[in-house]
Amino acid sequence: MRIFDPHIHMTSRTTDDYEAMSRAGVRALVEPAFWLGQPRTSVASFTDYFDGLIGWERFRAAQFGIRHHCALALNPKEANDPRCTGVLDVLPRYLEKDGVVAVGEVGYDSMTPEEDEAFARQLQLAVEHDLPVLVHTPHRDKAAGTTRTLDVVRESGLPPERVLVDHLNEVTVRAVADSGCWMGFSIYPDTKMDETRMVAVLAEYGTDRVLVNSAADWGRSDPLKTYKTALAMLDAGFGEADVDKVLWRNPVEFYGQSGRLNLDDPSGTSDTSDTFAGNSVLRGARP
Amino acid sequence: MTFRLGYGTNGFANHRLGDALAVIADLGYTGVALTLDHAHLDPFAADVARQTEKVAARLRELDLAVVVETGARYLLDPRRKHHPTLVGEDREVRVDFLLRAVRIAADLGADCVSFWSGVPPPGVEPDEAWRRLRAGVEAVLDGAAGHGVPFGLEPEPGMVVEHVAQALRLHAELGSPELLGITLDVGHCVAVEPEDAAACIRRVGNLLLNVQLDDMLPGVHEHLEFGEGTLDLPATLGALAEIGYTGLAAVELPRHSHAAPEVARRAIEALKAALPPVDHPWLVKAEQTVRADPASIRTLFPAVGRTVGRTPLHEHTDPLGVVHGTVDDLARTRLLVALAGVSEDLGAELVSLYRFGDDAERRGVLRALAEVGDKAVTQGVELVKDALRTNDTRLVAAALGPFAADHLDQHTWRHGVLKCLFLGIPLAAVAGLDRRADAELLRMVGAYADERRAAGRDVPAEAAELLRSET
Repeated sequence: MRIFDPHIHMTSRTTDDYEAMSRAGVRALVEPAFWLGQPRTSVASFTDYFDGLIGWERFRAAQFGIRHHCALALNPKEANDPRCTGVLDVLPRYLEKDGVVAVGEVGYDSMTPEEDEAFARQLQLAVEHDLPVLVHTPHRDKAAGTTRTLDVVRESGLPPERVLVDHLNEVTVRAVADSGCWMGFSIYPDTKMDETRMVAVLAEYGTDRVLVNSAADWGRSDPLKTYKTALAMLDAGFGEADVDKVLWRNPVEFYGQSGRLNLDDPSGTSDTSDTFAGNSVLRGARP
Repeated sequence: MTFRLGYGTNGFANHRLGDALAVIADLGYTGVALTLDHAHLDPFAADVARQTEKVAARLRELDLAVVVETGARYLLDPRRKHHPTLVGEDREVRVDFLLRAVRIAADLGADCVSFWSGVPPPGVEPDEAWRRLRAGVEAVLDGAAGHGVPFGLEPEPGMVVEHVAQALRLHAELGSPELLGITLDVGHCVAVEPEDAAACIRRVGNLLLNVQLDDMLPGVHEHLEFGEGTLDLPATLGALAEIGYTGLAAVELPRHSHAAPEVARRAIEALKAALPPVDHPWLVKAEQTVRADPASIRTLFPAVGRTVGRTPLHEHTDPLGVVHGTVDDLARTRLLVALAGVSEDLGAELVSLYRFGDDAERRGVLRALAEVGDKAVTQGVELVKDALRTNDTRLVAAALGPFAADHLDQHTWRHGVLKCLFLGIPLAAVAGLDRRADAELLRMVGAYADERRAAGRDVPAEAAELLRSET
């Protein structure tokens, strides 16, 4: 089984997670930029984070045979903090970096005018940099937030096939399915979706334009939820081709629109050399 | 490639035209400068239309671009070389010939017809010669209007138009006709122009229709093979790429027909060696974009590797590009050279490209300091010092190039060399090692070697060698 996790925050995970994911068949992933769990205080905090996503984290993943890509953006939560919004001015530099395959996560948190502004501006950046977009839907007032999200996407002029609307559930999936956008589902231990409900959605809506992710981050979450959903699909009678479509071919097709996916086996390339910028994930050995 | 490399058939005068085309194409040329002559598509032959058709088919088969040259020596007058011209007696004969040439050019699908003015006849005042030339060119352009093939006026030493400046003046005086451009022989630039060929190319700019390639010595109008004169061939070809020239650049060695295949082989080898190693269309476009809008480098710089590639320049001896760098390093240098020509604050831009850059972009900035660092010494030194604080072997190697050799203080430079020994970076990456190595460096390397021996470890071969060679 080969798995592409289209949304996971590896910066917050351990090398144990990388090992377990690799064993379960994860070969590629996309790490979208999000908040830290506590507020950032400056633009510099973003650029350090972006540098990590295009550098050190890609190196860490390659050590476990996993191709790491990222999506970069000002997240909706911090779009409300004037100390952070300046990051929009340096984003164009970063959106041209190797390994950046989308603009994201963008979207709404509390649906403020500031979020409106950041969302619209970043959809425009996606057009300018020829990148697809990963859109986060809010935790609170989700259905209304999703409808408004789809309206803004429509107004942006971005073709729906270049937009992935994430964190969907039974209540919000219909509107996104009808919009032509891609449908993302985050499978969590307690909140959002679980594997059983996910399989039911797949049975109802089919496998076209559907992506399943673990969205694992610094909170209680499980980086193997992609794998567990695949098992649940097989248990429910889906074939291996369906599993491959949802957990590999769909994310490859969506992010492949960037033209920057790299799905070669990293072993034996300079990405799996012993060190990144002279530093290693090993302990005890030099340097 | 933005322009095509070709060979002039006047350098194959002892070959049948068909044979010459085959030899030229086999050698890897992709175009031909076809001099109409009695043995090569004679414009006065009764069956010229049928012959033209055959040659056109052959050119298509061989995928050769073509320009038509009109400098045959005895085609119009069997006794007087190059006669008649546009400035002497019987000028209408030359006009008629040029009109025959443009009809053939149209049938061949040629880029242009190339022509020169003519040697001023004895006893004719310069003003009169110039007037005749203007009238002749106007007559030719009028007669050729329906064919849509432009004419390239070639400055030729000893003729009424012998300098680029004169060709540009005539062009302006005639009201910049759409069908008139310039043919430039880069060897002539060496022989008679006040500036070098690259500068002439930039000056002619988008009026350039046709290029002839050969070497020459200053003051001597003799077409030489590359390397026999003083032409800077890489800079010349680089200038063609820089201005976005897309036409033909054909070797012009009309006195080498006796050994044509061998001369043509040597010429293409010299050309290939001199071509800009990165001449990716994306890069050429990106250079133009940077010149027009310097801030655009902020989003072009990160995209270099995935567009032009990342191969090491010397793959066999330097597989990671630690010593000599990579194709993307070289492309980034070209972007920064373009930037240096237009930026108002090069130093600040270099710093932010480095600070916002990933590892490859940082190496690109460091390696480019060899070309542009003299214009931003303070910031360049700051970036070199930053790189030397890391343990990234490729970054440290890129930092110790010619810029560091010229500008880094002796203390920091010595520590950079020592770091190379620590990190296993070949000392070949350190520019100016022989020049800057001093007693203190040798003391430091000696102490390092002693420390290794005391710990029962090997002394790196390069450290031992350095100590031997300098003592």
